[in-house]
Amino acid sequence: MVEVDKLKKAVKGELEVLADEKGLSIVRIKNKKLLTKLAWQLKEAFDLLYCISVVDYSPDFELNYIFSNYSNSDLFIIKVNITEKDFAVDSIAGIFNSANWEEREAYDLFGIKFNGHPDLRRILLPEDWPGHPLRKDFKVDDEVRNWTGLDLKF
Amino acid sequence: MENSIRLNIGPVHPAMHGVLKLILDVKGDTIIKAQTEIGFLHRASEKIAELRYFANYYPIMDKLDYVSALNMEILYASAVEKAANIEIPPRAVYIRTIMAEMQRIMSHLVFIGSFGEDLGNMTGFIWALRERELLMTLVEKISGGRLAPMYICNGGMFYDFPQGIEDDILKALSIIENKVNHEYHAMFTKNQIFLSRTKGVGIITKDMIKKYGITGPIARASGINRDLRKVSPYLAYDKVDFEIPVESDGDTYSRFLVRTLEILESIKIIRQCIKDLPAGPYKTAVPWIIRIPKKDTFIKQESPRGEMGIFLVTDGSDKPYRLKLRSPTFFAIHALEELLVNIKVADAFVIVASVDPVMGEVDR
Repeated sequence: MVEVDKLKKAVKGELEVLADEKGLSIVRIKNKKLLTKLAWQLKEAFDLLYCISVVDYSPDFELNYIFSNYSNSDLFIIKVNITEKDFAVDSIAGIFNSANWEEREAYDLFGIKFNGHPDLRRILLPEDWPGHPLRKDFKVDDEVRNWTGLDLKF
Repeated sequence: MENSIRLNIGPVHPAMHGVLKLILDVKGDTIIKAQTEIGFLHRASEKIAELRYFANYYPIMDKLDYVSALNMEILYASAVEKAANIEIPPRAVYIRTIMAEMQRIMSHLVFIGSFGEDLGNMTGFIWALRERELLMTLVEKISGGRLAPMYICNGGMFYDFPQGIEDDILKALSIIENKVNHEYHAMFTKNQIFLSRTKGVGIITKDMIKKYGITGPIARASGINRDLRKVSPYLAYDKVDFEIPVESDGDTYSRFLVRTLEILESIKIIRQCIKDLPAGPYKTAVPWIIRIPKKDTFIKQESPRGEMGIFLVTDGSDKPYRLKLRSPTFFAIHALEELLVNIKVADAFVIVASVDPVMGEVDR
């Protein structure tokens, strides 16, 4: 599709096209620093961030950014891999506002840091919850089992 | 902030739908800052999916959006069937369409009722639930369950339609159509008190919709003509004739009107589906435990609250490797933080009700 060619030109060889059929394009970027640049490029054609889905292939984590469009139902999926050693990626909340809560959710359930996020707090779980439960290495241990809740100060 | 009072509303409060918490900074009667807090109904649905066989996840889907359980079941079934390349027979497609639309009517009736209740219109609540009961009885006859029916399974559904249920559905639909066209108009759209409480309140502009990624009836009330049933038809929606109600004002009244008109469109769809309901098998035989090869599947469908999506990652085992649920209200709740600023506290409840949040689906 047109968008894929445009993006390829923008990031010069750092893009691996996994699927490019009618209504669905999947690309993988090798350098995670290029994500924000790609998101800016993409915003003209795909103005709706559907969701950010993180998949745990320990020690690698794969982030799937799923974009769509308000005028048709085309999908554009960007895959970014990050490793446990460098467990952070640039936030795109400044480009797509709807990414704000999705990134908070990914931080909450996987512990991924989003650089430049305006308000990176837990969203679904309590502030003092031990660990990040959607990771494959999350164990239901005594700390989780005996968790009683926030120490509220009145 | 100076001279302002912090008001904590919820998570358990009669005017909050489910367990949504609002933290409002109030100056006089005007809200100057609004924060939302979610997660009180977090039940780790995504984690549970990784521990269960594909066929055993339906009860969890039921309890996600408990007001529209059948839509959730159909969405999950479609995701598994797309990943495993299972074809379902045409009769199953039509039955699923009928059930999805019946559930949509029920969900919108609950919205109308609870919206009326939040405005102090208790009669509206009783009336809407009275009509919903007609369809609830039918769902109970068909599936055996009411709120969490457990009707859909991989490859089709558990039971065929009982004999003569089509006539009962048509009878119930004409009653509902009559009530919506006459009684609800008298109670809501021609009611001066209702109009003054809802018109021009809580306006969501087109830009705000795109900024926050809101979909569904809320987006259609702001003039965005997008409905996945038309844009990318699934089930039998490309074989039936219906329209998408779109309003342009973006206020709470438009959101109410869009949902009311959608009930009438759903009635139209069910009538056509019953007329064309094909004979034949109602399910493909699928083993209880299936293995799906390594792949990613993304599927999206129009739930009564917007575009619900599932991102399913399989790795060749008999359980999902990762299941991500995209919930539409999650994004709409985010917009409340901007929407509730500079309005009166009394209107805040109307606006929250007009978003029609079901926290089971937001918190997952």
